[in-house]
Amino acid sequence: MTRSVVAVTGATGYLGSLFMSAFVDADYDVVALTRREPSATPHVSWRAYELGATPPRDTFEGVDVLVHAAWDLGNSDAQESWARNVGGSRRLLDAAREAGVARVVFVSSMSAYFGTRQTYGISKLAVERTVLDGHGVVVRPGLVYGDNAGGMAGTLTKIASLPVWPKFGRSALFLAHSDDVATGMVSLVENYDDFAGRVVGFAHAERVDLTTILASFAPHGKRHPTVPVPASLVMSALRLVEATGASLPFRSDSLLGLVRATDVLPGQDLLANANIRFRPLAP
Amino acid sequence: MDVVIVGSGPSAAAVCLAFKDRRDVTLTVLDLGAELESERVASRATLASQEPGSFDAAALAHLSTPPRPETPGALPRKQIYGSNFPFDDLGQLRGVRANNDANDLVVSGAYGGFSNTWGAQVMPYSTGTFRTWPLTRDDLEPHYRAILAHIPYSGESDDLEETFPLLGTPDHLPKVSERTQRVLDRYTAHRIDVRRHGVVAGHARLALRGSKCRLCGLCMTGCPYELIYSASQTFDELRREGRITYHAGVRVHRVENTGGGTRVLATSVNGGGTQEFKADKVFLCAGAIGTTRIVAGSLGLHDTTITLEESAQFVMPFVSLRPVKHLTQDGEFTLNQFNLFVSFDDDGKDASLVHCYPYNNIMKESLPSIAAHRALAPFTERGLRHLTVGLGYLPSWASPKPEIRLGGVPRDGELPDITVSTRENPRTAQMLSLVTQRLRRAGRALDLFPIPTQTTLSGAAKSYHFGGSFPHAADSPTERSSDLLGRVDGLPNVHLVDASVFPTVPATTFTLTIMANAHRIATRVADGVGL
Ligand SMILES: Cc1cc2nc3c(=O)[nH]c(=O)nc-3n(C[C@H](O)[C@H](O)[C@H](O)COP(=O)(O)OP(=O)(O)OC[C@H]3O[C@@H](n4cnc5c(N)ncnc54)[C@H](O)[C@@H]3O)c2cc1C
Ligand code: SF4
Repeated sequence: MTRSVVAVTGATGYLGSLFMSAFVDADYDVVALTRREPSATPHVSWRAYELGATPPRDTFEGVDVLVHAAWDLGNSDAQESWARNVGGSRRLLDAAREAGVARVVFVSSMSAYFGTRQTYGISKLAVERTVLDGHGVVVRPGLVYGDNAGGMAGTLTKIASLPVWPKFGRSALFLAHSDDVATGMVSLVENYDDFAGRVVGFAHAERVDLTTILASFAPHGKRHPTVPVPASLVMSALRLVEATGASLPFRSDSLLGLVRATDVLPGQDLLANANIRFRPLAP
Repeated sequence: MDVVIVGSGPSAAAVCLAFKDRRDVTLTVLDLGAELESERVASRATLASQEPGSFDAAALAHLSTPPRPETPGALPRKQIYGSNFPFDDLGQLRGVRANNDANDLVVSGAYGGFSNTWGAQVMPYSTGTFRTWPLTRDDLEPHYRAILAHIPYSGESDDLEETFPLLGTPDHLPKVSERTQRVLDRYTAHRIDVRRHGVVAGHARLALRGSKCRLCGLCMTGCPYELIYSASQTFDELRREGRITYHAGVRVHRVENTGGGTRVLATSVNGGGTQEFKADKVFLCAGAIGTTRIVAGSLGLHDTTITLEESAQFVMPFVSLRPVKHLTQDGEFTLNQFNLFVSFDDDGKDASLVHCYPYNNIMKESLPSIAAHRALAPFTERGLRHLTVGLGYLPSWASPKPEIRLGGVPRDGELPDITVSTRENPRTAQMLSLVTQRLRRAGRALDLFPIPTQTTLSGAAKSYHFGGSFPHAADSPTERSSDLLGRVDGLPNVHLVDASVFPTVPATTFTLTIMANAHRIATRVADGVGL
């Protein structure tokens, strides 16, 4: 039997590499669309691709599925970042459509909800429209945790080891275990027609408050004392530092994602029908 | 198959295009057919043979004297080449009355219909719009593309594409004005700040031969080089090719089912008795209200009210802190140049669109006479350097509802009497205030602030974006709804293909979807669907 071919952008990133292994485990051939060649792995091939650039002509040759997980957070210039991420994604999606790639999944974010104030969310939302208009699927993963978690979960794990924890009002987040996100993606691709043109939130349906998250991420699972922190003050401080051009491990925009998180998890009916489930956060 | 098409506006042009290559189909067009007066045609030809810098002064004055508003400060009725011919009454306006400030010039009698004088804005509807339609944008997409490939089309790739894909390869727009460039540059620089308020800015998309534009500034009073699309251009082409038989001076008042086909009854506008045309299929393209009257008369509807859907228009002046350097329309094109799209959901259904116009001479003419006084002129001029005029639209579900009250049984050879009035909608003020609030908040980033208290809503049917008298429905057609081929109950071979069949009228540009939908219906009929 010939194996289906899935192209993954951002395949060397945290989520991208999870997807890559999950697809290989599920008997797919994976084409990593990345700047640098990933380490040699059976059933994984490489085609050079950089988000923002026009995809080379043969990018989608033989490809059945595109999972677009690449996003460049490194650029602090708003215009350049938009051009690379939003403009670049549009070019990628156009190229995939022209090459006849029938299944396209865009890895968006929980911060991409209508009315979001986050730069990241607004940018992701702009790409979502293009994907949905082309009958692609938008996946909005919650806070992804698990072994070697990156991104926000990685930052929260570091905060969890501090003696005192910050408390930003009543912030609460949707969470998803990395294994569930990876297997969920494979199931979604396999049941693609049921999801086409829709947005799905990849997370357990219950939101969890920040202190409970930190307790779960803390080395011994113990709660530490919390201090209420006015988010606006920290936000202003972060913005001030960002204005100097300094790059911080935690951006004001990410803080906005923590304190103004969405309370809507779209597409749960579709996930239930496809038997895609997300475990609750273990205490 | 013998096909009769009533009207020569954009919807009729789209029907003809769909049938053009079906050689087994004869096409007969019945039209009122008012045209630009011959002396103005001559003046236009004079200017068309010249370059903007050396236009013949008399011909220029003849064609481009700006129209005067009925009341100072109000939006004047648009004239084209100095003429009102798109609004001329060839009997199609007889028996049309309007209450209060509603519009009574609701049916064009012109060769080319209202597209002789339109703003030439062309964008597809958002996917969200179709949530309440029994069609999807996918159903229309090939037809949008077919129309855009046929008409002149200029636009640019920008953020509006997220909701309104280009669906083709447009020509570039002509060079935009200093104000437009500044606003769009500021949008690019502060995009996130603007989008946080649900506002997206982008270039206009126009049915215009952009690369041929000579920047003479006369767009609003009529392009001497005829670079702006009018459906009459399509008909000129079809007539030259001998593809259609065109009858002008014919006013259709009734269609009758004859079993196998349809009889079309009409009178000559120059007097004379009833004329009769037979057809296998009839396409009604008389404009939403024109078609509604023909259908109402044919179905025997009288002494009853038909509620329409209208995307209400508002005029929103904006002020910028930084003035532009030059106040002239010379060296500019003066159609809409940029759009502000204000959305309240994520798929572009609940939204408003504001078309923004740079300075043109009509603006000066529209000022209250006191402001135009010589002593005040320098101040006026200074003010105008800060001014942008926005023509905005609300979706029909947030707009007042125009109503058409049908009179008694019409006399022989006449269309039913109608009175146009409006029913208020509590959502109008609410949505308008939300739109204004968002634009105000985005104003600092764009240096473009709506002038407080100066936004005015136009009267019923003045937007010319109305329809919905016989909306498409997925179920079997009734006397008040049409099937997906635009057929109402009782007239199985008559297809309504203008906006009379629109289930709603969103705030975004209107006529491209009329054309695409007409093209869709005609293509299906040509393919034998519904025979
Ligand atoms: C000032 C102005 C600006 C506009 N700007 C825009 C814009 O920028 N973008 C946009 O999308 N839309 C715009 N519109 C609206 C646009 O012009 C109309 O939506 C479009 O023309 C409708 O096309 P139609 O074919 O349905 O009807 P019409 O253009 O109204 O044509 C009707 C045709 O039917 C014929 N007719 C009418 N009654 C009879 C009868 N009883 N018997 C025989 N023939 C008959 C007429 O002669 C005419 O040819 C504008 C309109 C106006 C007035
Ligand atoms: S500026 Fe307007 S009127 Fe002049 S050539 Fe260009 S499109 Fe035609």
